[in-house]
Amino acid sequence: MIKVTDLTKIYKTHIKQKNPFKDVFLRKYKDIVALDKISFEIGENESVGFIGPNGAGKTTTLKIISGILYPTSGFVSVEGFTPFEKKPQFLKQIAFVMGQRNQLIWDLPATDTFELQKEIYEISQQDYKKNVGELTEILNCADLITKPVKTLSLGERMKMELIAGLLHRPKIVFFDEPTIGLDIFSQETIRTFIKQFQEEFKATVILTSHYLEDVKRLSKRLIIINKGHIIYDGTLKKIIEQYSVEKRVTITLEKPANETELRAIDIPISYTFPKVVYKIKRSVLPEKIKAITQNLPFSDLSVEDETIEDIIKTFFKKNK
Amino acid sequence: MLKRIQKNLRLFFLYSRFTLKTTLQARAGIVLFLAGKLFRFLFLLMFIFLLFGKTKVIQGYSLNQALIFYLTFNVIDSLTQILFREVYRFRPLVMSGSFDMVLLKPMHPFTKILFGGIDYIDILFVIPYFCLVIVFFLKTIPFPYSFFTIFSSVSIYLLFILNSLVLACAFHITVLALGIITTEVDHTIMIYRDLIGLGRFPMEIYKEPIRSFFTFAIPVGVMMSFPTKALFGLLTGPFIWYAWGISLSGLVFSLILWNYALHKYQSWGG
Repeated sequence: MIKVTDLTKIYKTHIKQKNPFKDVFLRKYKDIVALDKISFEIGENESVGFIGPNGAGKTTTLKIISGILYPTSGFVSVEGFTPFEKKPQFLKQIAFVMGQRNQLIWDLPATDTFELQKEIYEISQQDYKKNVGELTEILNCADLITKPVKTLSLGERMKMELIAGLLHRPKIVFFDEPTIGLDIFSQETIRTFIKQFQEEFKATVILTSHYLEDVKRLSKRLIIINKGHIIYDGTLKKIIEQYSVEKRVTITLEKPANETELRAIDIPISYTFPKVVYKIKRSVLPEKIKAITQNLPFSDLSVEDETIEDIIKTFFKKNK
Repeated sequence: MLKRIQKNLRLFFLYSRFTLKTTLQARAGIVLFLAGKLFRFLFLLMFIFLLFGKTKVIQGYSLNQALIFYLTFNVIDSLTQILFREVYRFRPLVMSGSFDMVLLKPMHPFTKILFGGIDYIDILFVIPYFCLVIVFFLKTIPFPYSFFTIFSSVSIYLLFILNSLVLACAFHITVLALGIITTEVDHTIMIYRDLIGLGRFPMEIYKEPIRSFFTFAIPVGVMMSFPTKALFGLLTGPFIWYAWGISLSGLVFSLILWNYALHKYQSWGG
């Protein structure tokens, strides 16, 4: 479905010189390699998360696959189309929802933008009504679509963006930081919606996000990009198994403990009575739990996996 | 092909409808905008009358003919404002990266970024301008009027107006392309407006080589003076070919530049 081979993207940026005259008349340029010969394939109905630090090349990859940008070299094929040729048959099969961009008409209700989408994507009146009805129902926002966009909150606008973007039932959907800037409740709503949309309409979902919770919830496969190179391409489960070397142990103490007692178990990462938190290596976890139960009076004890953020941090440390 | 044209026309009307809806929300803005335009028009009209208060003829043109030059300038300027208003809003679209959303749509991007913001307020002016052109034109030709003379003159006049719009279209596409390459739109548009402003009056008021420069190098004369001269029967066949040659070459050049710009587009703000 999506095939990318040796994809390279080089941006030209000008080098600031100390002499402003030279900056204007004798400008020098340097090449910034945003993507360096990356290759991967994505199959039908897959959900793939692209992660990496700022400037790693995630969004550039998505923009080339969707046809916004021209590649410098390499081969890209999406559903048999060359994206940058921007053929209408290709564009009708994709959608790009960006958390930091909007396509809604600011002064008018979202229904006007939907009507525009209907004409742009040549959706029949019957399908249009059905799709708007279904999407507003999933997002629980039927009352919002007739209000001027400028009066909506960020989370509400994002719901409208999702409807506008997905109204034509695309086969491939690119989400670029769809939950950025949203409160935790809105983030949850958007994640649930994306998950439901993908399952219900069998769409291929390609996602980038700095919130690893998005990736954890929505993507089975993970592609990690750093400095224009793919440094990991595999399942999320595998990376957790491989790089989640510690567990987070939280204890609720019955009475205050002194530093010696706490350090006898391990060095705690935080202690504010009654809560003490340890990060304990998986290999020594049983004996440490035993030591806790024998030496510390507690009313509650919980053992959790490391957060996905911690795992990815460990991954980056080990793959520098 | 026909289907694609029909689709883009439907979208053009839809964008126009939404622009009108948006415009009507700022009623005070409409009043101020209308007042400003009217004041500028009347001020320059008064200036022409003042000039002709001292003399009967300027560079071979009578008062009525000078008024037709001025009104024709206003017709062409208003038509370009009506059609290409969206170009003025292109820079923020590029700077914010929202232009990405236009490129992702299965339609020609010009439907949105070139023709997507019809300025309805200017329509209010074009019709009276055009009627006044006809009124003053009738004053310049001998009575009783010959239907054939009026028909042929007005037809060729409209053909040249169309040619001016093709030239204006080429210029606005060039501005869009430069907007992508350099992120600069506002100043290029201002330069364009200053240059075409020179066409308010007949080109003959400028001395050589300035006159030739504004006729041949920068086609302000072709755009603003040729239609009026054609109406007066002062242009011969080769000038028609020359005018269309210039505008179509300009259009081809602008489209080549546009395609080049799309290759250079970096999608800022990502």
